[in-house]
Amino acid sequence: MQVVKTMLQQSAFGAPGADSNPIVVEGLSKTYQVTDREGGFGAAVRSFVKRKFRDVKAVQNVSFRIGQGEIVGFLGPNGAGKTTTLKMLAGLLHPTSGSAKVLGFTPWERNSGYLRSMTLVMGQRNRLSWDIPAADSFLLNQAIYRISDADYKRVFDELNELLDLAPIIRKPVRNLSLGERMKCELAASLLHRPAVLFLDEPTIGLDISAQVRIRAFLKEYNRRSGATILLTSHYMADVTALCERIIIIHHGQTKYDGKLVDLSRRIAPFKLIGVTLGDCADCDLSRYGTVVPGEGSEDAGKHSVQVKADEVAAITARMLAELPVVDLTIEDPPIEDVIERAFHE
Amino acid sequence: MYILKLFSTFLKVNLQQDLAYRADAIVNMVMSVIGTGWDLLGLSIIFANTKEIGGWGPSELIALMGVWRLVNVMMATIVWPNTEKFNTGVRDGSLDYTFLQPVNSQLLISITRMVVWRVFDFAIAVALIIAGMTSGNVITSPPLVAAFLALTFSGAAIIYSLWITLISFTFWFTKFDNSVTIMAALMDAGRYPAQVYPYWLRALITFIIPIAVATTVPLQALRGELMGWQIIGFLVIGAAAVFLSSRVWKAGVRRYSGASS
Repeated sequence: MQVVKTMLQQSAFGAPGADSNPIVVEGLSKTYQVTDREGGFGAAVRSFVKRKFRDVKAVQNVSFRIGQGEIVGFLGPNGAGKTTTLKMLAGLLHPTSGSAKVLGFTPWERNSGYLRSMTLVMGQRNRLSWDIPAADSFLLNQAIYRISDADYKRVFDELNELLDLAPIIRKPVRNLSLGERMKCELAASLLHRPAVLFLDEPTIGLDISAQVRIRAFLKEYNRRSGATILLTSHYMADVTALCERIIIIHHGQTKYDGKLVDLSRRIAPFKLIGVTLGDCADCDLSRYGTVVPGEGSEDAGKHSVQVKADEVAAITARMLAELPVVDLTIEDPPIEDVIERAFHE
Repeated sequence: MYILKLFSTFLKVNLQQDLAYRADAIVNMVMSVIGTGWDLLGLSIIFANTKEIGGWGPSELIALMGVWRLVNVMMATIVWPNTEKFNTGVRDGSLDYTFLQPVNSQLLISITRMVVWRVFDFAIAVALIIAGMTSGNVITSPPLVAAFLALTFSGAAIIYSLWITLISFTFWFTKFDNSVTIMAALMDAGRYPAQVYPYWLRALITFIIPIAVATTVPLQALRGELMGWQIIGFLVIGAAAVFLSSRVWKAGVRRYSGASS
């Protein structure tokens, strides 16, 4: 793997004018012009004769830097501008304004050196040919990316070790399960040892165990290769498992850029005390904090109480002293809630 | 060298894909033989009643049919299957991956899908050209054959460039695939010499959808009807078409916005 790591570093930092950060984004904006018409037959005819357009600001003045080897979660609700940003950084879209350097390259110039150093994986799109086995698509990628036989074998063996590809790459892609296909998609995207990975919802639609396997793979790949990863996902388990740092984008604008734990502390400076009570019909938990409905099974005597983070110790002590406590847990608020609050803050 | 390796790899993958559908390949081969037989029957009926069409005799028309079929092989092998794939790619966003690969995107969209069994049609086309040129009174010489080959290649390049230009317009107008259908309909006019058509149609198939440049013109060179400057002129037009269409393609790619996630 050291060989791969060295080659990655060469391809990443051999680029002309490379910043020490592999990804540098300054004031990036993208405005789409879309046709605007009301519903109905009359509006359709009027639109045929005279088109009306309106501007949609998909991304507005987004800036960030990502250091080598970082895995950053790029989060936001649907339509926030995540995929547009990713596509600009991958070189698929030209921005309306602003600049970006990835590995020292301007992405939308589509320099072949750049395209050979990065990859974009879109969970909702297929890179592999449907009718042929993934192994044949891999060979196609070997030719496209000019990978020598020796390098191909070395990288493939490693991906095989991490993803257990051997049993599935001889089947036509159309016969693979979604999880198997995503393994092959990832392998096809990584054969050329990209130094930067843009992952757009790589675990979408996968069952829990497939999600866990893909997360473990990405973490290990990042650890071994030192590749930089920018990841979008609607599954918070992806984010908590992989990303120390997150960037939140909403309505095309950056809302937050920092550590996930800091966001949790800032947005939701409280904890949840889960308490299971013994025989206590008239215990009033609202004296200790806000009782959160639906968090526990009240039938089983379990309740959740939300309290300020700096009062947890004192309130826990009071509960233990004043209530017939059978079990007690202290938890952070669910990350989904924190992110949801951040979107709308 | 790289492009050749890439081409052969794509060819291999496409061959594997086509081999998966044996019945389809056999049916299409039979259809090619029936189509050729039908065309030859049509010509024999015409020449049972007349000695020439627009100054062209039977053997010359067989050679013309061969050249026309050659252009059609290119269309059926590369143009139509990739048009379909391109249109699907624009709609569902799978074209994104084409633009992410470190290869000229125009080359990639031209060779991604190749209907390999069309090589059988290619053999029929070459056989018709050789039969036409050797059986009748076509007076030819090595320089004329060289001009014929160069003009056939250049004519095919013009048709290919027209296709690239038309599909590039999809980047501006989102849906423009009907233009390729119109192009396909007019291709049929290439099976007879341009001289037999009325003036307006001759102008259309020479300047707008230049199928006549790809079929009639090479055979005119073979018949010794073209001056040197005319041959060079058509070759220059071919090179210009390739250059201009690649500029239009690049401009279109700049406008590409992909399908939404």
